[in-house]
Amino acid sequence: MLAELFNPYYLQIGCFILINIILALSVYVPLSTGQLSLASAGFMGLGAYTSALLTIHFDLPILVGIIAGTLIAGLIGILIGLPTLRLQGVYLAIVTLGFGEVIRVVFINWESLTNGSVGISGIPHIGREILKTLKGFGFNPQSMGLQNNQFIFLSIFVLLLIIAIFLVWFFRRQHYSRVGRAYAAIKLDEKAAESMGINITYYKVLAFTQGALLAGFAGSIYAHVLAYISPADFSYHRAVDILVFTVFGGSEVIWGPVFGAIFLTFLPEVLRFISEYRYMIYGLMIIILMAVRPQGLIDVNIINWIKSKKRSKRGVTHGSGSEKSM
Amino acid sequence: MVLEVKKACKNFGGLAAVSDVSFSIRKGEIFGLIGPNGAGKTTMFNLITSMFPLTTGEIVFQGDNINGLKPNKITEKGICRTFQNIRLFPLMSAEENVMVGVHSRSKSGVLSSVFRTKSQRKEEAAIRKRAKELLEFVGLDDFADITAENLAYGQQRRLEIARAMASDPQLLLLDEPAAGMNETETSELFQLIKKIQTLGITVLLIEHDMPLVMNLCDRIAVLNFGKKIAEGTPEEIQNNPAVIEAYLGSEEEEEYA
Repeated sequence: MLAELFNPYYLQIGCFILINIILALSVYVPLSTGQLSLASAGFMGLGAYTSALLTIHFDLPILVGIIAGTLIAGLIGILIGLPTLRLQGVYLAIVTLGFGEVIRVVFINWESLTNGSVGISGIPHIGREILKTLKGFGFNPQSMGLQNNQFIFLSIFVLLLIIAIFLVWFFRRQHYSRVGRAYAAIKLDEKAAESMGINITYYKVLAFTQGALLAGFAGSIYAHVLAYISPADFSYHRAVDILVFTVFGGSEVIWGPVFGAIFLTFLPEVLRFISEYRYMIYGLMIIILMAVRPQGLIDVNIINWIKSKKRSKRGVTHGSGSEKSM
Repeated sequence: MVLEVKKACKNFGGLAAVSDVSFSIRKGEIFGLIGPNGAGKTTMFNLITSMFPLTTGEIVFQGDNINGLKPNKITEKGICRTFQNIRLFPLMSAEENVMVGVHSRSKSGVLSSVFRTKSQRKEEAAIRKRAKELLEFVGLDDFADITAENLAYGQQRRLEIARAMASDPQLLLLDEPAAGMNETETSELFQLIKKIQTLGITVLLIEHDMPLVMNLCDRIAVLNFGKKIAEGTPEEIQNNPAVIEAYLGSEEEEEYA
């Protein structure tokens, strides 16, 4: 019975949704200080290639590869974040988009290391590694009524779900704190924020770097879930896809990017039966949404509405709208 | 002396917005900075708060030269300001605006904020309490949850004062706090600034409302075309021929008119 429920195809879509949530957060966090960054695809590629190459050539455990990939992306994030501080809005978007393209072109041309546009295959797979480790302890997925490949995807899905929930929790708490207020103040009025004693250099670079870390982390995971990466995975299209998650879902509250990533990853799969028309519908929906709700689908008002509904139902004062968007 | 401005000059290209201005402010006084439009008053504020660098000259705050410090460091040192064209954080509530003001007097970082350590929770509670006190101080305690952009104009001006006071300044710079206020609001503002003075906070005030300035200020400096043309008590300023000429034009000119 379990076996039918855990179709590897659905589980894989689930994994992509969770990776996309992390990527959407990597746009949301810099944007919460007003920095519109399109560098996520580039940082994602950095994380993916770093982790893939380290695990293949040096036989390092996947965990070490992922940590290294995340940190490299974060480090480059600081280096990019510092000189682009003065840029605002669309100028920053252009520079970060250019950065992503530079990274991609480096991947294509540094053939001795990256294997060029052919890409890297045979990257250690997280699920298989988990299964191998557990089998070492005498565990057998058949005892749960699952086949090996079902267990592989189920384990990745559960792992990513825990990570995604942790990250949403992390950035939600950060939002409701001194750091979050500093971010919001910078987004609303940089000069006034500076006059109120906020070190805008520090907080802008911090937010940009947090975005880079998130994208680098998502990229490393991506490499170890697909087991194959190529420069095309981190192109301009990826950058725009990630941006659209956040813009479509809404960038005012953290549930916006989460919802955007879930919905827009799901949609093309659900619409598979109309094959090539599905991307037309996808495009049309985004155009309509931008015309009707430029702030994105989920905004502060919706969250407050959900909160008040919950409160009147249960008579409690807490709640976050998590039911709707998770 | 709380603040000493020594031969401050600021050029924008060929335009001397402020040239060779010196004045000093004693602890606890309310010091007025007046002058016709475009005289360089707001530029002076921007120089004191390091929004612009000085071209030449020196600004000394409580014995320390503060030239070239970043604006956020100036706030940490104890100077905070309001803006002529209100610059609140429009989408935040009144309370959150004031809470942002406490930023330089608190220190929780990312990790302590996320994991809500004991010291962070204590600090957050203290920030909230301070914000409540200040909202009460400026008479906005009933509007704590209202979004700043939805407040009335006079309330926004008072909220800006509360936000600036949240950084516990030694010197508070008010840029035309009475602009656009009606008579009742102006007299409330008068009481408020007097109350700020009793807290031991020194106030530097730019204002066009002459009755308010003359009643409120202990001493006044007058700028015209970027130069200081007079300094003294309100009585001295009112009788100073150079000031009268700057505001009303000289008698000879009137003959032509």
